[in-house]
Amino acid sequence: MEMPELKQVSEVVYELGRDFRPDMHVPLRVFADAQLLGQLKRDHSLGQLVNVCTLPGITHYALGMPDMHEGYGFPVGGVAGTLLPDGAISPGGIGFDINCGVRLLASSLRFPDVESQLPTLVHELSRNIPTGYGRHGRLSLSRDELDRVLNEGCKYIVREKQLGLEEDLERIESQGSLPEADASRVSERAKQRGQDQLGTLGGGNHFMEVQRVDAIFDEPGAKALGLAPEQLTVLIHSGSRGLGHQVCTDYVRLMDQALSGYKISLPDRQLACAPLSSKLGRDYFVAMCAAANFAWANRQVLAQRVRETFSRVLGAGPNSKLSLVYDVAHNIAKVEQFGIQRLCVHRKGATRAFGPSSPDIPAVYRGVGQPVFIPGSMGTASFVLVGTDAARDLSLNSACHGAGRALSRTAAKKEVTGHLLRKELEGRGIIVRCASNTELAEEAPIAYKDVERVVDVVTRAGIAKKVARLVPRGVLKG
Amino acid sequence: MTSQPTHWFEEHTGEVQLHLVAPTLGQLFEEAAKALSELMVEQLAEDPAPSVELVKLSAPDREALLVEWLNELIFRSETQQKIYGEARILRLSDTELEAEIRGKTPERLGTAVKAATYHRLKIVSQENGYAAKVILDV
Repeated sequence: MEMPELKQVSEVVYELGRDFRPDMHVPLRVFADAQLLGQLKRDHSLGQLVNVCTLPGITHYALGMPDMHEGYGFPVGGVAGTLLPDGAISPGGIGFDINCGVRLLASSLRFPDVESQLPTLVHELSRNIPTGYGRHGRLSLSRDELDRVLNEGCKYIVREKQLGLEEDLERIESQGSLPEADASRVSERAKQRGQDQLGTLGGGNHFMEVQRVDAIFDEPGAKALGLAPEQLTVLIHSGSRGLGHQVCTDYVRLMDQALSGYKISLPDRQLACAPLSSKLGRDYFVAMCAAANFAWANRQVLAQRVRETFSRVLGAGPNSKLSLVYDVAHNIAKVEQFGIQRLCVHRKGATRAFGPSSPDIPAVYRGVGQPVFIPGSMGTASFVLVGTDAARDLSLNSACHGAGRALSRTAAKKEVTGHLLRKELEGRGIIVRCASNTELAEEAPIAYKDVERVVDVVTRAGIAKKVARLVPRGVLKG
Repeated sequence: MTSQPTHWFEEHTGEVQLHLVAPTLGQLFEEAAKALSELMVEQLAEDPAPSVELVKLSAPDREALLVEWLNELIFRSETQQKIYGEARILRLSDTELEAEIRGKTPERLGTAVKAATYHRLKIVSQENGYAAKVILDV
């Protein structure tokens, strides 16, 4: 599809009007600077965002975050709100890895005080955390217990399985437990895939990092989040594993077959959707909530394994305490209120970014803003930001979710070998644990956009505020 | 006439785009299994007795059937801890498939594949057989 020039509407916001294609219901807006815009024009992401503009009930704009890149159906880094009660919900607007997300833990330790123990720490983490696809966790759940994880999420894991602290719950998006979840709408096949995967990192771009706080940009914000220079932090990036993948697979198939019944016509089958007011739309929504609960529970178990490892290697006691800063989803649909409108906000590779006045963020972060985590690529910095009140009107309370891919996996492997990359990272003092050199090369820093530039655009657009920069010292790659 | 079924992986920023060519539709589906296994495993273990399993699927059209087929193999790989690179199509129409697949144990895994998608999915008949494109979420 031939893409026209986008109209620049402010410093880092570009727009394409709905007159571009007759089936668009709304215009689209992209947050980017000239260089990022040039990068995203090289793949099909803008065309995919145009397709998103055709979703039934879509309102405001289809939005592209600065890390946007080509996906399937929705672009990765795409946001769309549909007006309820009858607006559509599209599993392709959430993705196969439902509630893929990021959790940040902050240690009470300073990095220089434990630097000599880092090799042992990363080695023990790699022994304690199963990585790679299809890997089984140590937590064996009965089918009833799995259903409780799906229905209750982190509340069940913390309160009944005793994995974590009560205070963790407040610092997880939606307390790690979406009440609408209904395990009975999750297929037997999805449950089979997820049965023994709780507490596993998974493959692909999932990872865990031991980091050092390298810079603070906002002192009061950092203090509220419990972050200080030279502090040791741990970042976990994982999702709902095979269970979530199967929920998406199941409902894309069902919705693809039901489209004509709803008289919905779409430019891309992967955008298959149903009105949220329909039985099928509702069934998917409650199944997606269950998969999201599973993902939060997964990151809760992973965090507990990290805490156990820290205690074992660095000694138990208050000095090795790991506090949860926040846990945020970046592949999810949420029902959110915007004035008198109730929207189903799809965030595919995008993070919710509620501002300081939002009543839906933890009490400790009111007046500060909801933490937003932007992990860089392996070996580059990650950023901690907080949402702004302006994000509500600018971006449907959304910000980006990472650096965003710039090169395909094949192209990355042509540019760099896993073996040499491992050496290069270790030469920079970063310890890497990854079983497959192929997968390591696929996630090489060169395959990603410049995270500093992406974060700069988010900040200039006013949708989130920079708080701290974290640099990796140990990486465990899925 | 295309002499041999073949496949290759094309550039895609985020995911993997699989391109398949084969003289018959049945061979195209068999080649899809082979390509998927090539992606998912770096090395197979010595497996003296691979499992032999029967697959029966239905879908509204042949494109959806290809997605169903790949998703079935992904599901079985993850739950059975096997890789299904060898498939024999026993019966195939535009809406139904019956196949025998052989599952082998992976020694070293390759790229994690979450699912096959409908995005830009296409199967075309051409003079020398069939060609298909399918994007895999990895």
